[in-house]
Amino acid sequence: MKQLSIIFSAIVCTTALVSCKKETTEVTEKLPAKDSVVASQEVHKEMYGVYYGYFSPDETPDDGEYPDEDFVKKISLKINKITKDSVYGQSVLNGNQRPFRGILNENTSSLVLDEPGTDKSDGRFDVKIKGDSIIGSWTAFNQSAVRIKSKTLKLEKKEFVYNPNFMLDKDTDLVDWTSHKTAKVSYGKNDDGSEESYETDQQRYATNAIFTINASKQKLTEKDLKNLPKLDMEIIKNAIFARHGYSFKKETFRQFFNQSAWYVPVSNNVDAELTPLEKENAALLNRFIKYAEDHYDTFGR
Amino acid sequence: MLTSKNLVFKSMIALAFIYFFGLMLKITLDYVPISSNVSFLMIKQTEVHSRPEYLPIFYIHVYSSIFALLAGFIAVFFDKNLKYLHRFSGRIYVIVTLLLSSISGIYIGFFANGGWIAKLAFVLLGILWFYSTFRAYAEIRKRNIRQHRFWMWRSFALALSAITLRMWKVILVYLFHPNPMDVYQIIAWLGWVPNLLLVEYLIKKQKP
Repeated sequence: MKQLSIIFSAIVCTTALVSCKKETTEVTEKLPAKDSVVASQEVHKEMYGVYYGYFSPDETPDDGEYPDEDFVKKISLKINKITKDSVYGQSVLNGNQRPFRGILNENTSSLVLDEPGTDKSDGRFDVKIKGDSIIGSWTAFNQSAVRIKSKTLKLEKKEFVYNPNFMLDKDTDLVDWTSHKTAKVSYGKNDDGSEESYETDQQRYATNAIFTINASKQKLTEKDLKNLPKLDMEIIKNAIFARHGYSFKKETFRQFFNQSAWYVPVSNNVDAELTPLEKENAALLNRFIKYAEDHYDTFGR
Repeated sequence: MLTSKNLVFKSMIALAFIYFFGLMLKITLDYVPISSNVSFLMIKQTEVHSRPEYLPIFYIHVYSSIFALLAGFIAVFFDKNLKYLHRFSGRIYVIVTLLLSSISGIYIGFFANGGWIAKLAFVLLGILWFYSTFRAYAEIRKRNIRQHRFWMWRSFALALSAITLRMWKVILVYLFHPNPMDVYQIIAWLGWVPNLLLVEYLIKKQKP
């Protein structure tokens, strides 16, 4: 009995202590929070948002190498927060997301934004905001490590919204210009029996299925996918990610989705945003893409 | 002269068969160990989940048919010499084909990819394979060697569709890059109809 009462009182004491501690922490938590709000008063909220557009090299590098197909790239600058002394945000380019921090000069409405500098392709944005557009330049920190040392930006403010109804623009070019193989095509045999041939680029083509099948809205079945070429399934799957603002690393998907006005790449990871339906469809599509890859042109079914 | 020409021809046939049998064996080994979503089954999950009997019957077909193919070839290849080997492999071919491979083939044919065009082709192939094998067996029970031979040719020509179907697929995909089920509907027929026609021609040629 005595033991029991000791235990009981011990429990009462601890509960009291715990509750007491809780209250005090709450108080102490609140105070600095108020302070920080004062210190980091947000200003120019109207500038917040995503700015998306062209990111082109100032000059062709004279290293003799032929420029990539997507020499002119498209970049997103996302401004998340502006305080009296700092600007916070991130740049997203070809699936590479980099945070930046900088300052705003309110008189000239110009921004100087620095990427962390931990990546060899990090640099400084020196831009001006004018209404809904951002114009300016970018210079690499490490001039010797990158091929293109400075670039020009021409961005427009874009509103990013997720809408499962978004479909690829009907005028989207069905040819995949980014991946191709060269094939020898024969003209036929000459009189002397020698063969004449020329080399041609063989492109992959998507079909109209990419305009009708929406993996963000309808539950896809095996039957829906069985007759689709691999490229179609890849586009249908990646349309899910495009709707969530995913920035593609692969040029093929940038080419296809950049043709739709609604596509605004804002992130390099949207996995957490997917709906259960989209996750299910993506898993099914992955299975079919894998099957197409392994079996479409091999000896087998 | 005739025999040496024959020998060259026969060894070429044997080499070709060994090559393609190796490919078939490789495909079969993709299904070892048993899995519900490997290879072809990756696009058959609707059937796997909705029909509990699909997977066992599918595996009966895959595992038995590789033996039917080998036994059938040995029996047809050694049709006049090595009588013991001919009879032994022939019995295995007939038993495996009639009891396992053709029956299971007819069942999975009903659920084939490629819509009714492909389904009809595969079900018909299964029925003809069963029938020709059974007739070949019945003829030899009656000691009717000539008819046994012809029916076995038909039966094994149909069995070889496992190889010819996949050959046509590679060729058609290489040439035309068709959508997967479009090519499937074509090879479902192209896999065995020409085989059968060729054998009928050979049989016709045999008649005195």
